[in-house]
Amino acid sequence: ILDEKDIEDAISDFKFDLIENDVAFDVAEKIGEDVKEDLVGREIKWREDVGEIVNESLRNSILSIFESPFQFKTYIEEKEKPIVIIFVGTNGVGKTTTIAKMAKWLRDTDYKTVLANGDTFRAGAMEQITKHGEKLNLKVIKHQEGSDPAAVIYDAVEFAKANEYDIVLGDTAGRMHTDVNLMDQIKKIKRVVDPDLVLFVDEAVAGSDAVERSREFNEAIDIDASILTKIDADVSGGAAISVSYATNNPIIFVGTGQNYDDLKKFDPEWFVDEIVG
Amino acid sequence: MIILVLDNLGGSLKKSIRNIVGKGRISEKDVKELNKEIQRALLKSDVDVRMVKALTDRIKKRALDEKPPKGASAREHIINIVYDELVNIVGKGTEIPVEEQDIMLVGLQGSGKTTTAAKLAYYFKNKGLKTGVICADTHRPGAYSQLKKLCGEVNCLFYGEQESEDAVSVVKNGLKELNKTEVRIVDTAGRHSLESDLITEMEEIEETVGADRTYLVIDASIGKGVKKQANAFNDAIGIDGVIITKLDGTAKGGGALTAVSETDTKIAFIGSGEKYEEFEEFDPDSFISRLLGM
Ligand SMILES: Nc1nc2c(ncn2[C@@H]2O[C@H](COP(=O)(O)OP(=O)(O)OP(=O)(O)O)[C@@H](O)[C@H]2O)c(=O)[nH]1
Ligand SMILES: Nc1nc2c(ncn2[C@@H]2O[C@H](COP(=O)(O)OP(=O)(O)OP(=O)(O)O)[C@@H](O)[C@H]2O)c(=O)[nH]1
Ligand SMILES: [K+]
Ligand SMILES: [Mg+2]
Ligand SMILES: [Mg+2]
Repeated sequence: ILDEKDIEDAISDFKFDLIENDVAFDVAEKIGEDVKEDLVGREIKWREDVGEIVNESLRNSILSIFESPFQFKTYIEEKEKPIVIIFVGTNGVGKTTTIAKMAKWLRDTDYKTVLANGDTFRAGAMEQITKHGEKLNLKVIKHQEGSDPAAVIYDAVEFAKANEYDIVLGDTAGRMHTDVNLMDQIKKIKRVVDPDLVLFVDEAVAGSDAVERSREFNEAIDIDASILTKIDADVSGGAAISVSYATNNPIIFVGTGQNYDDLKKFDPEWFVDEIVG
Repeated sequence: MIILVLDNLGGSLKKSIRNIVGKGRISEKDVKELNKEIQRALLKSDVDVRMVKALTDRIKKRALDEKPPKGASAREHIINIVYDELVNIVGKGTEIPVEEQDIMLVGLQGSGKTTTAAKLAYYFKNKGLKTGVICADTHRPGAYSQLKKLCGEVNCLFYGEQESEDAVSVVKNGLKELNKTEVRIVDTAGRHSLESDLITEMEEIEETVGADRTYLVIDASIGKGVKKQANAFNDAIGIDGVIITKLDGTAKGGGALTAVSETDTKIAFIGSGEKYEEFEEFDPDSFISRLLGM
């Protein structure tokens, strides 16, 4: 029978590894607790390797964080149209680029897709999404700079309904979860637009803060799933675990580069192999 | 000052400092307890694990070896040591020369280079220098418009070529165009260590600019990947200083310390908002407070 002492070292070792791989400190602690709870008191057969048992339990613990019945593709297929999706997150994580990538995929899959420029704030945001629209040959709904972002996305939804579009992708300005006014604004966007999906975008290069900001966004507007960008940037990507843990939601896609085709389905098994080995 | 930083601490770190009483040497148990709390705080702030370990080892050694100076309590003594060692890894502020110079900004995608270019322009303009910015980002859609608009707000000179795909030639033209400008700031496209074409492009831009100062712009939330990135940028073009952005969120910027230590440079500026005024010269004291979780 395993007692705490038998596995203490192994647990402390992997907690250290998780932190090294950018899993937030508190999340690594929590995973340590889970594994301990899972294993202490368990009967083991003689000659079974404790290290392997701990590893297996760790894998399962992480996989259970990612576990979710949500399937984006099926959702898009089955859900009544138009489907309205808004993208939220802190500054510069890759929201607009991700929208462009997803728009291309939807377009190529024959969904009529319209983009909405809900970032009426940042310099160059309008030109950025307009350019993507031109390159992808997709319509972009936009208002003047400084105008109400909720109204822009609302208009795009009306446009989609009137013209039998399938999908509305609503961009929003990057914002810090600590900015009360901007968080109120995103709540208003959600209220006015009533989106089908709220997708939280974060970047794989992020460290511990991923847990903090994803939790705050989730509390403010209840996100449905997350996308992790920039996993091509030579990272271990433990932020995926932090985000999924903090929001209790799946990661559905990862961004693997700056080109339109660099959006891939997130594969938890593959990811856990990368992190736990 | 020192007391100011460490005395304002909240929670368990404060408690472990408060626990240290008396006049004589500090007990090993107290130091261990304190170090554990410091480690927790710094790891949560994304400071490199080895750096944290080395720091607390030094704190322990000094706390046990050094006798408190006359009149100082054990607590004051350990606070001094902790602060001293933290400043050692954080670095003092750097003198920012107010003179003619060419500056180049580089860093990962979305780290805040373009915003920082405008902030720097505003900073030097306010010091009375004629300042201009060159847009060497020919990759990101809308990069030209973004920087041009920001320069309009700051009211500094701007050079860019909207349709160009050749960053090096844009920079050449820009330097010529702005040759009467005292401070020239070159904003580059975001890139990372594995994008070898972009790393080569950056080397060529650097050669063209012959920058007096190359700043690595780092997002306060960056994780452990910062080490490889900082080294790749430093190996390619040589980094002269670090600028931390987005310190207005909850991220603590501990990753910047890794960059500073890998490139043997200092933190020059910090950004704490999207607007061009939200930018300051680096101040170690407030940064240390933040790292420790205030
Ligand atoms: N390498 C890499 N770069 C990416 C990826 N996704 C986005 N980027 C880059 O990250 C930078 C920022 O992307 P944006 O899409 O503008 O980010 P954003 O979240 O919309 O930014 P704000 O609207 O300013 O908050 C751009 O240079 C993108 O090309 C990715 O998966 N990999
Ligand atoms: N809250 C906050 N946002 C910032 C700060 N600095 C930059 N930003 C925002 O971060 C996002 C990315 O900034 P950019 O200046 O476009 O970043 P970049 O490094 O030029 O991006 P690329 O050119 O795509 O690599 C934008 O939304 C900026 O407004 C800061 O100090 N605080
Ligand atoms: K949720
Ligand atoms: Mg955007
Ligand atoms: Mg830029």
